[in-house]
Amino acid sequence: MTSIAFTVNGSPVEADVAPRTHLGDFLRDTRRLSGTHLGCEHGICGACTVLIDGKPARSCITLAVACEGREITTIEGFDDDAVMGELREAFTREHGLQCGFCTPGMLIASRDIVMRLPGADEQRIREELSGNLCRCTGYVGIVNAVSSVAAKRSAPAAETVARPALSVFTPQRRAATATVAAETKPAAETGTRQGWTQFDETFTIHQPRDKVWALFGDIPAVADCLPGAEVLSHDERAVKGRMTAKLGPIAATFAGSAAITRDPQTWSGTIAGAGSDGGSGSRTRGEIVYRLEDAMDGAATRVAVTVLYNLQGPLAQFSRSSIAQEFGRHLVSQFAANLNAKLGGAPAAASSSSAGSLNLGQLVWAVVKAQFRKLFGGR
Amino acid sequence: MKAPAFDYQRPRDLAAAAAALRGASGNAKLLAGGQSLLPMLNLRLARPGILVDISRIEELRGIEDRGDALRIGAAVTHAELEDRPLAGGAMLREVAHGIAYRSVRNRGTIAGSMAHADPAADWPLALAVLGATLIVDGAQGRRTMPAGDFMQGPFTTRLADGDIIIAVDVPKLSRGARFGYYKFCRKTGEFPEASAAAVFDPETKQARLYVGALPGAPQPLDDLAYDLAERGLPALTEAAVDRAVAQIPNLEPIARRMQRAAVTRAVRQAFAA
Repeated sequence: MTSIAFTVNGSPVEADVAPRTHLGDFLRDTRRLSGTHLGCEHGICGACTVLIDGKPARSCITLAVACEGREITTIEGFDDDAVMGELREAFTREHGLQCGFCTPGMLIASRDIVMRLPGADEQRIREELSGNLCRCTGYVGIVNAVSSVAAKRSAPAAETVARPALSVFTPQRRAATATVAAETKPAAETGTRQGWTQFDETFTIHQPRDKVWALFGDIPAVADCLPGAEVLSHDERAVKGRMTAKLGPIAATFAGSAAITRDPQTWSGTIAGAGSDGGSGSRTRGEIVYRLEDAMDGAATRVAVTVLYNLQGPLAQFSRSSIAQEFGRHLVSQFAANLNAKLGGAPAAASSSSAGSLNLGQLVWAVVKAQFRKLFGGR
Repeated sequence: MKAPAFDYQRPRDLAAAAAALRGASGNAKLLAGGQSLLPMLNLRLARPGILVDISRIEELRGIEDRGDALRIGAAVTHAELEDRPLAGGAMLREVAHGIAYRSVRNRGTIAGSMAHADPAADWPLALAVLGATLIVDGAQGRRTMPAGDFMQGPFTTRLADGDIIIAVDVPKLSRGARFGYYKFCRKTGEFPEASAAAVFDPETKQARLYVGALPGAPQPLDDLAYDLAERGLPALTEAAVDRAVAQIPNLEPIARRMQRAAVTRAVRQAFAA
């Protein structure tokens, strides 16, 4: 617990709070100021907007402990505020609310708009209100209400800036950066399975195919080459384990199981599994299909990997799919490098089709690897 | 939707912040505005042991005119940059205005956005195209890092463990300079699906064009930028934009089309009278 002291609606407040308590929870649970509504709790909906030192902020993504010494104003603190009085009347007149859930946040954001941007036109008001979601009104009544109050305040004279056209010039050139990356096959949502993403990668292992094939059948050895993977139990057909992924501040550990099939006739196999991350409640299902081909007259093996996956829960909600793909590509490139090292071959040679992403991957991996080491060192 | 437990420290100055980071041996995360970190904590995607709040450290809070550059303190908020007219800093103001929502801009900070390194964020793209430099303090001493290659991948930067960004030096744009900034957002204030920024400064001879909101770091399109500087808008042909954007790997066809449109619109903005 941490001791804090600040002002809420003009009254001093002292309390001990757990650092993880966000300001919205603190106000509702300990001060009984339930006018601050919690909607999404990750900074999207705006329902929890309060003033901190007179400026609107989202109380769900502000820690109570970070507000030491600040003046907090919640929707309950505007009884004597003339501007809020005008807005209340306007919201009533224009039917600016229906269920009322967004209204405390809407009013606090609207008060900021009319005071900061007097005379704001409808387009600007809509833009400024874009951080407050209303699911009932369609915004028309809200925008009319804010417009009517904003219109009473005159806009400052617009500055007119004369802008001569840009003249052409000879630019200073810098040395060409890394050569243009080759196009790899772009990841795409597959037409057959909606919500699933697929990407292909190819890499070369400098060992004959039968040796690589044998290693692909050795589950602990394969897991050893995959950063973050840990096998808990396995037989020839199935594996149970954990996969830890860490990217910047994001850390997820997916625990789950996978079924393994191998077809020596076609030198190919599949690993199909599912797992969930207890921390975030994210779930993933996926399938990896690999095929080994002879390369360099049998001296090396070309490995073609297709990864098909589906991610659900907070992780999917938070990260854009391109970032998950980039992460997956890095993982494959690192796997290739580790596999080569394990088999005593030359360093992983990127196939021509994926040179670009592998180079980028190696750069990033230098940093990410260090984080993996930290992660496991800490256990 | 509640953050996991962590400890919280609010060091008084930089030295104390550095000591707090050293003491946490890799288990600490710096907190400034927290507008990206708190959502991740609430979703339990991030699980640091200690948050070190540097948002009030005075050394990180100022804006200084250094003649040919503006030195923006690391913990300066987007809203402060949106509200404050700075000579030679018109682009900072416009970019700041377009970040998320006002209630987020009131708390989110310029260096926090750089350190978080979301590929779709505004500052990594804008500071790269402006040719800005980050001033970083840490175990290896005080040093500078160009904003253009600071991000190494999604959520991954050049910062070493224990490093703190002190400030960002942004070269001033000359009076004759022009810039363009365009992003495609599904909804106002959301992270864009494609973005591009251009700066042309005839006095300092700088021509830079970057695309952002990629799977990884923002990417420069130098050849197209140089061509545009020398020949003006006639260099902005569909084929030239296609060629430039084709250099970027791992884009879905729809993303590639949006990036081409973002580049075209950012450049047109820069050349608009």
